[in-house]
Amino acid sequence: MGMKAYFMIKIKATDGLTDAITELEAMPEVEAVEPVSGEYDLVARVDAPIRVVLVANKILAKEWVEGLHILKIEPAEPNPFLDEVCSMPGGESVRWCIQCGMCSGSCPNVAQMDYSPRKTIAMIRAGRRYDVLISNSMWVCASCYLCTVRCPRGVKPTELMHSLECLAVRHNLTNGRTPTMYRAFIDSVKSNGRVHELGLMSRFYLKTNPLAALKMLPVGLQLLLHGRMSLKPRKIKGTGQLKAIVEKARTLGGG
Amino acid sequence: MRYYCYFPGCSSSEGTAVAYGLSTQAIASALDMGLIELEDWNCCGSTPYSLTNELESVSVATRNLALAEKTGLDLVTPCSSCYTTLNRANSYLRQYPELKGKVDEILASVGLDYRGGVRVRHLFEVIFNDIGLKFIKSKVVNRLGGLRVAAYYGCQLVRPEPGFDNPHNPQSLDRLIASLGAEPVPFPLKDHCCGGSLIIPELDLALGLIHQLLESAASNGAQCIVTVCPLCQTNLDAYQDMVNSRFRTRYNLPVLFFTQLLGVALGIEPKDLALDKGIISTEMSLAPFIMVAKPTTETSRRV
Repeated sequence: MGMKAYFMIKIKATDGLTDAITELEAMPEVEAVEPVSGEYDLVARVDAPIRVVLVANKILAKEWVEGLHILKIEPAEPNPFLDEVCSMPGGESVRWCIQCGMCSGSCPNVAQMDYSPRKTIAMIRAGRRYDVLISNSMWVCASCYLCTVRCPRGVKPTELMHSLECLAVRHNLTNGRTPTMYRAFIDSVKSNGRVHELGLMSRFYLKTNPLAALKMLPVGLQLLLHGRMSLKPRKIKGTGQLKAIVEKARTLGGG
Repeated sequence: MRYYCYFPGCSSSEGTAVAYGLSTQAIASALDMGLIELEDWNCCGSTPYSLTNELESVSVATRNLALAEKTGLDLVTPCSSCYTTLNRANSYLRQYPELKGKVDEILASVGLDYRGGVRVRHLFEVIFNDIGLKFIKSKVVNRLGGLRVAAYYGCQLVRPEPGFDNPHNPQSLDRLIASLGAEPVPFPLKDHCCGGSLIIPELDLALGLIHQLLESAASNGAQCIVTVCPLCQTNLDAYQDMVNSRFRTRYNLPVLFFTQLLGVALGIEPKDLALDKGIISTEMSLAPFIMVAKPTTETSRRV
């Protein structure tokens, strides 16, 4: 993609200022022109589809131009990460955010997040795909929806966190233990149609830290003794149907 | 008798919250509710399923909605997470036509279709609105006078959709508790998060949240906590010992499902309400009421 540049332009005769502005504005590459005082007379923001210098030469070729200084060049690339986030259901709302911080102030788990919800949104808008997706922020969101009901702009940070989870998985940038637990949960649903809690827990601890399971033993034992842990998973009749739904969803491509 | 299509959810059907499912069944007939379990329902997907893509998670949830639509009844679930997840599928299908087109195609490939006509409701909301406090009051045989209860709503009953109660300071559960003769204590953290399923991967974080909740309930003089969510109950009950050893506290707060407390007031046998499945024993706070209940139970059964 092209570049954006800011040109400072000095013109030969100051009384030709209005004509110069009109002529510059007529150029397809020029996005905005403003008169300024000082060493130069005009500042122009241009969009250079091929090379900035080509646009600069085009302006310099005008007979009324005395000098041109390229003040700043920046990439005019669109923000593919922002577009990607906005294309997901629930993600489009990041554009409405006014960065007031209500979400971060409401979040019970913000202290454990690499970036607060507000900052996460700012980083998405700055296109920092890697930093956002490798962070733990979405993985410590407990989906309590406090931010969602409090946001004055109707942004849905909780749904946004879900979208970021999908994207992190899609780009293979997952971080921490939560994705492992979520995967164990999904495996359990896929094979039985329902979640089998004991199976889910054992799969999670086997994959992360089997020793940590020892710490959980008293809780598990209490649940077992109180008849709250079924040892065998119960399969639904429609497991085949559910598998077909999942496979079809994958071929239709949601990511 | 009012009939509903019943979606127990994984935890309440036979998992950690089996007491919720059992006590729901026990109070349903006493309140003239007919709960017809949805045939061959599958897990709604809950929060963890959002790890995959939107299309997959919504499709998995929508299978249940498609099955429920055939019954023509409202789909009622006691689980706050199922409630939110199924509602979310409903609103996403309405909001995103492109997503709906794909979900329709997926369902059609397995011989199902969903027209969007199922109303997903939380069991508590149904009892509060359809059955009503007036009717409940008339059925109470065993007033829970003097029992101080912390009404714990959790997150997903009153959020994210603007629902039947205030999302910041809900009152409905407090009112139900009061209608049973018990006293709802002030509980500022009543709608705060217990950590949910993060208790497994992020134990320390969740224990901190549970600690705050127990602290808030205990310091306001609650004798027990009443909840409407399977996950909240498990986190507050099964992990209370762990909180005690981690934070050097001595909480001993039984955590009941609202259906259990309601059942006690309606004079239903403790066995049918699965009160013994609580890890923190309910005996100390509930014993006086259960003793009184026994003679009346027989008469209420006969009626």
